[in-house]
Amino acid sequence: MADAQARVAAREFNPWRAVLVISLGCLAVLFLAPTVGVLLSSIKTTREIAFGELWTVPRTIYLGNFVEILTNPAVPHYFKNTVLVTVPATILSIALGVLAGYVFSKLPFAGSNLLFLVIISGMFFPPQVILIPLFQFFNALGLIDTLWPIICVHTALGIPICTLLMRNFFATVPNALRDAAILEGASEWQVLTRVALPISLPAIAVLATLQFTWIWNDFLWPLIFTQTDENRTIMVGIVNLRGQYSVAWGVQGALSLLASLPTLIVFLFFQRYFIKGMTMGAVKG
Amino acid sequence: MADLRLESVSKSFGQEEVIHDVSLEVAHGEFIVFVGPSGCGKSTLLRLVTGLESVTSGRIFIDGVDVTHVKPSDRRVAMVFQSYALFPHLTVAENIGFGLRLAKTPAAEIRRRVAEVANTLRIEELLERKPRQLSGGQRQRVAIGRSIIRSPKVFLFDEPLSNLDAALRVLMRLEITRLHNRLQATMIFVTHDQTEAMTLADRIYVFNHGRIEQSGTPMHLYNAPANRFVAGFIGSPAMNFLPAKVRRQEDRFTAAIGSSVVPLDRSLRNLPQGEISIGVRPEHMSVVDPADGDVEATIEIVEELGAEVIAYLQIDATAEPVTVRLPPQRQVVPGQRVGVRLAHESFHLFDSDGALLG
Ligand SMILES: Nc1ncnc2c1ncn2[C@@H]1O[C@H](COP(=O)(O)OP(=O)(O)OP(=O)(O)O)[C@@H](O)[C@H]1O
Ligand SMILES: [Mg+2]
Repeated sequence: MADAQARVAAREFNPWRAVLVISLGCLAVLFLAPTVGVLLSSIKTTREIAFGELWTVPRTIYLGNFVEILTNPAVPHYFKNTVLVTVPATILSIALGVLAGYVFSKLPFAGSNLLFLVIISGMFFPPQVILIPLFQFFNALGLIDTLWPIICVHTALGIPICTLLMRNFFATVPNALRDAAILEGASEWQVLTRVALPISLPAIAVLATLQFTWIWNDFLWPLIFTQTDENRTIMVGIVNLRGQYSVAWGVQGALSLLASLPTLIVFLFFQRYFIKGMTMGAVKG
Repeated sequence: MADLRLESVSKSFGQEEVIHDVSLEVAHGEFIVFVGPSGCGKSTLLRLVTGLESVTSGRIFIDGVDVTHVKPSDRRVAMVFQSYALFPHLTVAENIGFGLRLAKTPAAEIRRRVAEVANTLRIEELLERKPRQLSGGQRQRVAIGRSIIRSPKVFLFDEPLSNLDAALRVLMRLEITRLHNRLQATMIFVTHDQTEAMTLADRIYVFNHGRIEQSGTPMHLYNAPANRFVAGFIGSPAMNFLPAKVRRQEDRFTAAIGSSVVPLDRSLRNLPQGEISIGVRPEHMSVVDPADGDVEATIEIVEELGAEVIAYLQIDATAEPVTVRLPPQRQVVPGQRVGVRLAHESFHLFDSDGALLG
């Protein structure tokens, strides 16, 4: 009884809790502020924004910006290009990560740990270091101003993180499950597709969300590898909407909002697979 | 024809050999138990039989066919794992039918055979559940179901009961015996548990350090252990070992346990003079008045188990504590001075290396 009261009192006076709540609150505001700014700018006229009224509560909701981007013939191109880059690169990088991760966790061979470290170290290369050689490489192949270099680079850059995550997840899949499946007549490929992968859906969902968002929002590589408006992706497209003499804040804001919808949808779709405990019941406990 | 035969099987992991030249034969329908201390290679041996590990040397025959290089699923062996190894994302029915599904058996046929197996194991009402919705005993049944559906030649159980509580173990033990009787199948069962080994086995193989120490019926191993390791391993409470010195007196031998001298069996002919160890089972000792026993001792702990009394005593002559099994009416209390009478005809004599003497 007295113990319980003491605990309640301790909770009331715990300064760390207050510090935590306040810092998290500040962080949330910091992270949300740009989004709110974009949202506000999308429903204001360029004139209003130019007069410094970005952060005021709008008196009327101006939809002209949205009308403008929806009627802009370049916008569907941007979306199509981004999908054409993001979907294959996401699928490819995850597929390669799954295969590599499975081998590293379930079929180790002499030197496999070293190879794993080499692959993981790929995560720590700053893009600036490989930017120029990559440009020269794809230029020599005649692939500049196509979507191919972007797909290739994103697939390659995704391999380290996908391999790391999948290897660690597969490591939690008990070896006895593989043994049991093999005794039942499964090939290594069937062990992967019928046992390991279905159990690993949460990891795949996390990876799919991460990779999709990262590739969809990327600005650097499309900027480097594309030149004409037909081949731009959405993030480069937003910047391109700038008028010749003015900065089209409102229109950019509206397109930014539209551009973030797919990542939101992907997140909401995969979020339901983020469930834990898929392996529960496989082994004792 | 033997259902399973191993010929000089050895297995090394890297430099370390963990199975040394093991040969054994299991007849059709036999229930074999492998026992041995942790790390002696029981699981490894089962994995060699399944083909999940490949032998370093030697050959494996199942039903007369050399399967040394046959892949696991074609060997007609099934294994039940200690951890059950059920597929967590599949229902019980899908788990049991997994192998048939891989073999592209028609769906109707799979359903029929799964129902049959479920009936045998009395798990019909669990078929639509996922493994996490089952109790330990139910999971065990499902794992057994998955192993029997493809009617294998040899069943392998790797400590299948060790995750269950004591009461459930006894139940599952009976159930496995029943299953064995019903299927008339060849089974190899690995366990740490004395009682499991003694009650289930037609024949027991005792392993130590990757070698077979002895094989035989439970009673044979109990009554005629081939060496000190088997003598100490089989039986619970374990056999007592008393250090002694052999002396020759005219045509017969005696053993000195401390200052007490006990006569040894007349039939013994050539014993080495010197240090030996006398193995006596707890039931081959009795507690008498201090003056009447072969050796004197002090009672340390008394465990009353109803049907019997287990007493732990300290013999004056040796530092070792010994265990004595007494009838329930025998009244002893800790601290009491007693004499211990040894049943001389039931001695097992071992030399200092643990080999049987006589
Ligand atoms: N894959 C492996 N790589 C290297 N050593 C191994 C491997 N599997 C088993 N061993 C070694 O082989 C020996 C026998 O192991 P095994 O699992 O067969 O013992 P066990 O008798 O089943 O023990 P327990 O009763 O604890 O299950 C052990 O020393 C173990 O460390
Ligand atoms: Mg084992």
